[in-house]
Amino acid sequence: MMKIMSGNEAVALAVKFSRVGVVGIYPITPQTTIIEELAEMRARGEIDTDIVRVESEHSAMGVTLGAAVAGTRAFTATSSQGLLYMHEMIWWTAGSRAPVVMVVATRAVGAPWNIWNENTDFMSERDSGWIMSFASSPQEALDLTLQAFRISEDPRVFVPMMVGMDGFILSHTKTNVYVPSQEDVDQFIPPRRQPYVIDPETQESMGNIFQPVHYMKLRQSINDAIQGSIDVIKEVGREYEKVNPLSDYKTLNVQYKLEDADYAIVTMGAWSLDAMEAIDKLREKGVKVGLYRIRYIRPWAEQEIRRSLEDKRAILVFDRATSLGRAGPLYLEMKATLQSPMKGVIAGLGGVSMSKKDFYEVISNFIEEVKFGNPNKVEWYYPGEVKYVELGTPRSAY
Amino acid sequence: MSLGLQDLRTNSLLPGTSACPGCPENMAMRMVGMALGKNVAMIVVAGCSSVIQGIGPKNAYGYPVLNIAFAAGPAAASGMWRAYKQRNKDVTVVVWAGDGGTADIGFASLSGAAERNEDFIYLCVDNEAYMNSGGQRSGSTPHGAITTTTPEGKRGNKKELLFLMLDHNVPFVATASVGYPQDLIDKLKRAKDVNGFRYIQILTPDPYGWLFDPSKTAEVAKLAVQTCYWPLIEVVEGKVKVSNESLHCLKKETRRPLKDFLSVQGRYRRISEKDYEELEKYVDSLWDRIKSMS
Ligand code: SF4
Repeated sequence: MMKIMSGNEAVALAVKFSRVGVVGIYPITPQTTIIEELAEMRARGEIDTDIVRVESEHSAMGVTLGAAVAGTRAFTATSSQGLLYMHEMIWWTAGSRAPVVMVVATRAVGAPWNIWNENTDFMSERDSGWIMSFASSPQEALDLTLQAFRISEDPRVFVPMMVGMDGFILSHTKTNVYVPSQEDVDQFIPPRRQPYVIDPETQESMGNIFQPVHYMKLRQSINDAIQGSIDVIKEVGREYEKVNPLSDYKTLNVQYKLEDADYAIVTMGAWSLDAMEAIDKLREKGVKVGLYRIRYIRPWAEQEIRRSLEDKRAILVFDRATSLGRAGPLYLEMKATLQSPMKGVIAGLGGVSMSKKDFYEVISNFIEEVKFGNPNKVEWYYPGEVKYVELGTPRSAY
Repeated sequence: MSLGLQDLRTNSLLPGTSACPGCPENMAMRMVGMALGKNVAMIVVAGCSSVIQGIGPKNAYGYPVLNIAFAAGPAAASGMWRAYKQRNKDVTVVVWAGDGGTADIGFASLSGAAERNEDFIYLCVDNEAYMNSGGQRSGSTPHGAITTTTPEGKRGNKKELLFLMLDHNVPFVATASVGYPQDLIDKLKRAKDVNGFRYIQILTPDPYGWLFDPSKTAEVAKLAVQTCYWPLIEVVEGKVKVSNESLHCLKKETRRPLKDFLSVQGRYRRISEKDYEELEKYVDSLWDRIKSMS
């Protein structure tokens, strides 16, 4: 069945379909409507999920972890400052190897205050030990949330998983979404599995002091589980076709007009569709350019990326996030994967909008640069009139 | 085991903990086992008790334990009891936290869980400083006490967690001392049968932070009660009950002098007359408030 809905509504629906036991909720823009929707579902009697209205995001992750280790499926969602505030518990959850699922509707991080979209909040959790996927449409937000329960609870994985989506652009924009049936989801997601449950009978304990070498082994086990999850993710993706016959999750990342391309554009998230339209226009003019969309940050699909991109003449990576003082995180990841000539563009921070015209401009300029030499550099791109940013006092920089 | 506790066997504490000799938290943990029996799941918030249980994967507590970061105990407990409820399991969830985790860094999540009236027992083992990191002052350190970060003696009084928790109107709030095991055990047993949020603050005098001989832990814990520095009370559904051991504190004339408690501790060795008066005033106001509630 197709239904018009926003990304946040799609996520709430996925949580309902997954028969989640406990949800810790705390509002933060632009994630808020996910938890409001869940609270309404509960009030209408559509779900028997226990909804805990906590006093902070730190506690939202605390509740989620507590519920998970005591044996129920658990979920939460957040954004921006909220994600940073729960950062400690994100690590604690990963270190506990507790399968839980979280959705992040991405947003810029203050100061100064900015509620609009950017992916830096999400990208800054790369080291925490979670599987991290990123949606490019409300449909994908729904699909990836459902798959997240399957993946994180797979005995070969047992690692928490977060699903990102661009704040407002996906969280609040309504599009057509294929809604699976509860029966199909029930077939797809088995009853909860987890490495151990805290129970008086089992006497399991978690998280006490470890000797250095055991601590390091545990860290490696998380690392290996995340790297090894690539096969599980593909397997789950193939099986997901029974839930959504229109879907294609055979690979971790996604290609568009890439086979015969000389130049590859790398993006993540919602603006990939604008980039695709720009690529269509360039193709009409005979420029052989294609797109590679990153759907999984962790695990990083190194082999897949190499196979798809290693023969390209040059690569242009778009980042909607920064690692200040260095470059965009996607660019850095790609640089560590491929030898090819590469350029990184940081754009769209804090809600600066990137149109397909802007993509067209940046991509065409890049191809010119490649023709006249090595494009190895990082650029901050502003659409329109902004051309210079002065180095000076904090105020004059604006 | 004198004190008539012979019949109360416990496995809450197994041999071979990493506690210091004379550790009051070990004593309290044993009493928890005596009172609550087997069906318990415990959340231990960062502190001495994260270390006392020894090095993983083994554990010196006879309970399943989720060890967790400082500020997350009450939140994790909220998730845990709800999960047990969904799984139709009758488990008493207990959060075990020190005064730092309770009065300071964890207070927001404690207050949140109390406001939601979550169904678990919260135990604050109050040794009045951050003992696990070497005895720095906490919000619960009393006026005049020397700690490693207040070498001149703390200015300002102890944060009154007892009254703060009472102001949350939760069904069960109590204070206890490891010097009076039977009183603590009785309170824990009663708390077990109450639904909703239950808070017990246990005085656990620490020989290494308070600077007294480790053989004297129980004695110091008793002196705190006898001098009325530490009240033994229980408030159930708003009704105050003062334990027998503390009844004499209701009248100022029958209180044992505070200096009997202070003089046995090194942390008060340089106390001035003014600080002493300040502490006496603190004790007076404490009992004035308790009296005003009854
Ligand atoms: S420092 Fe105090 S509370 Fe901590 S283990 Fe030693 S005696 Fe026990």
